[in-house]
Amino acid sequence: MTPTSPSSTPRAIALQVLHKLGTALSVLIGAVTVAFFAQTALPGNRATAILNIRAGQAVQRTPEELAQINQQYGLERPLVVQYLDYLVGALRGDFGHSYQQYRPVAEIIGEQLGATVVLALTAIVIAWILMVVWVTLTAGRGPRVGAIGSLVDVTAAALPAYWLGIILLLVFALGLRLFPVIGGTGPAGLVLPALTLAIPLAGFLAQATRTEFERALDQPFVISARMRGQGDLGVRLGHVLRHAILPAITLTGWALGATLSGAVVVESIFSRPGIGQVLVTAVNSQDLPIVVGIVVLISAFYVLANLLVDIAYTIVDPRLKGAAS
Amino acid sequence: MSLPRSARLVAPLAIVIAASLAACASPAAGSGEGQRIDGGTIVYAPQQEPACVFGGWIEQAYISYNVLDSLVSLDENSQVVPWLAEKWEESDDGLSWTFTLKDGVGFTDGTPVNAEAVAYNFDYWVTGGNSTARVWLFGYYESAEVVDDLTVRINLSAPYPRLADNLTQGYFGIQSKDALETRSDEDNCSAPIGSGAFIVEEWNRGQNLVLVRNENYTSWPANALHEGPAYVEKVDWRFVADATTRVAALQSSEVDAIYDVPAVQWKTLDDGGYELERYVTAGRPQQLSFNTQIGPFTDERVRQAFAYSLDREQIVETIGQGVIPFEGNGGVSQSTPGYSQAAADRYTYDPEKAAELLDEAGWQLNADGVREKDGETLEVVLPYGAGSIVNADGAAILQGVKEQAEQVGFVVDLIPVPQAELFAGAYSTAEERDIAVGYWTAVTSGILYINWRPSTPESPNYSNQAFYDDEELGQLILDANSAADLDTQNELYQQAQEYIADHALAIGVYARLSTLAVAPNLHDVWQEHAQGGPTFYDAYLTE
Repeated sequence: MTPTSPSSTPRAIALQVLHKLGTALSVLIGAVTVAFFAQTALPGNRATAILNIRAGQAVQRTPEELAQINQQYGLERPLVVQYLDYLVGALRGDFGHSYQQYRPVAEIIGEQLGATVVLALTAIVIAWILMVVWVTLTAGRGPRVGAIGSLVDVTAAALPAYWLGIILLLVFALGLRLFPVIGGTGPAGLVLPALTLAIPLAGFLAQATRTEFERALDQPFVISARMRGQGDLGVRLGHVLRHAILPAITLTGWALGATLSGAVVVESIFSRPGIGQVLVTAVNSQDLPIVVGIVVLISAFYVLANLLVDIAYTIVDPRLKGAAS
Repeated sequence: MSLPRSARLVAPLAIVIAASLAACASPAAGSGEGQRIDGGTIVYAPQQEPACVFGGWIEQAYISYNVLDSLVSLDENSQVVPWLAEKWEESDDGLSWTFTLKDGVGFTDGTPVNAEAVAYNFDYWVTGGNSTARVWLFGYYESAEVVDDLTVRINLSAPYPRLADNLTQGYFGIQSKDALETRSDEDNCSAPIGSGAFIVEEWNRGQNLVLVRNENYTSWPANALHEGPAYVEKVDWRFVADATTRVAALQSSEVDAIYDVPAVQWKTLDDGGYELERYVTAGRPQQLSFNTQIGPFTDERVRQAFAYSLDREQIVETIGQGVIPFEGNGGVSQSTPGYSQAAADRYTYDPEKAAELLDEAGWQLNADGVREKDGETLEVVLPYGAGSIVNADGAAILQGVKEQAEQVGFVVDLIPVPQAELFAGAYSTAEERDIAVGYWTAVTSGILYINWRPSTPESPNYSNQAFYDDEELGQLILDANSAADLDTQNELYQQAQEYIADHALAIGVYARLSTLAVAPNLHDVWQEHAQGGPTFYDAYLTE
């Protein structure tokens, strides 16, 4: 976030970009390392898991059975060798093959990624709309309205996704027949899953924004804007909001990662495809290549989200722009 | 799939809402049969999405049964009837079986279903192609031999008169030899090539598996309701993990049939005009096996005391709401041929008797109401596969087991084990657990051999969850397996179950169910009789 060089020569910019890329790469390698060793540190034996999942029975396995799997996947090699082998592959873009589906991990993630990204982005957009409308309407309207406003924020933020999802499903899909029960990937099927993620997120964002919003309302520039004859809504949207949303932007960077990894509950309720579902299945079956692949992907999203947040900051707060260039 | 804690708490509320909304949501029922639709797509919503179509897991067998034909099929009277094999014969010494295949049947890749392909499949299963098929053939299968183009001979090391019965299970679906040999593992996993009524068209992972009708289908089983290709054009096998969503999807007519109907929704759907089908799977029921090698349960009296301390029927009745059947037999379930009612009735609720047995065994009650012996408390470890082997209803039943056993002075450590750990071998050894929970579907009491064959150093049997390596029991089961006469066989299998009951090696809790709820406009979906999977070959839709 903090610029490393005050100059803006092409060379300096290139260095800055390189620095960012280097940081991103080291974060990703760190994620691979942690995920790989966390997976291999799980209790039990990977070859046993591979065999048992294929058989649907949780039993011990004979040395001959295990030897075959160990040999096939190279699980008998020292862990460090397996890790380096994996890392070299990952750097070349080869994330290995799933133990259970016999398919390349990149392909498995690739076909599920779109649905999850669309869901996460839609949820964030809806959360922002809900938050902006709600905070603009209720912040700084005296103690009573303010109390109701923040009560709703807290309640929304605390709603468990499973409960909310089921209620939305039963009321709007089954009861009122406005949306399909099984979401699928079409636009109609996106509304309820996105709302399920968006409502608690809007609560979080509103909590963060409300305090700033109320503080900004007391600022001199608000009084001067009102003195110029600007209407209340205009002041709120045109001046106050801009000052109040910085914390919410930071939170959004976090939310992009969190909705990706937290999408699994929603994917389960609305039977949506997505990487959340794939991740849970893979964790359950100790399908290490898929688990590590998804962890790397989610880390990549966090890295990207942080980058976007940096950019958004400079757009919203021109003071930072000056500092950056 | 296990849900977060909060999910379990809200589920009852969700169900109440579902029930109240169902009144306005259920389609007009009982309007009689409408105009029959030519073709069409059946949308079927099961719970779990397996990694591959074909495999050793029952959910895989349910799918592959619609794609791969087997040699033989089981009809509703549990008789083995022709499918790919038109006839079969057991040799006089019982050591070889000769299957004669139907002529002119082809796999959907154009290669013929012949003796060579069938023989290849047997060897494929036992060398890792299907681990469940393999344990069924273990100890008996020697080789598969091509006699002529349409005749295949299976050679056994000992007589096994119920071989054909076991071959009706979905694990024994016949695949194209050419496909197995020349295609990638990936292709054979996601779209195996058989000669079945349907062909795998596409698999949108995380969503659905689309089966399309095999237009050239010629090899329907003898117990099918019609001849020729399937009536419907496609079956959309749509994976819906959440039970509430499955029921809602059926009520809103988005799907035509669902699998695994929650017990609490049974009556709502019944009243709504849906056809409900319930199949009590044969084989090992959901049961408790005691560790007979290490720990307190090495003493038979302690095992019996545990059994007497439980009112299993009452627990199952309370949780199962009349849908889940109580099963007292720890060997096989009530729908299994050769079932022993005496073994099932061996233990009833008798806490006094339990206390007496524990006193006798030297376990004395202390001031906290817990039994002690030589300064050690009577603590037993009961791990279970939460969300994988034991579903939510089953977990509630085990909670009841824990509470009742603790009334007589046991301390039960009921441990929900995540699938990842359980399947990686956690709690699989005698040192780690005192009681094992689990089921295993089967067609015959031959399952007893899988679950109770004594371990030997050369050939360990890790499916023997009681770690009970007893020659007498082992011999009873071996004799039963090879008994030529059905009555003798059943008698021997019953003796084996009674032996298990008398020595309290395992006690039954409830029978495993396979349930379907079918919309009023979908007809003739039947649960195949080997394992209770849905069969869509005869099914058709009406307006």
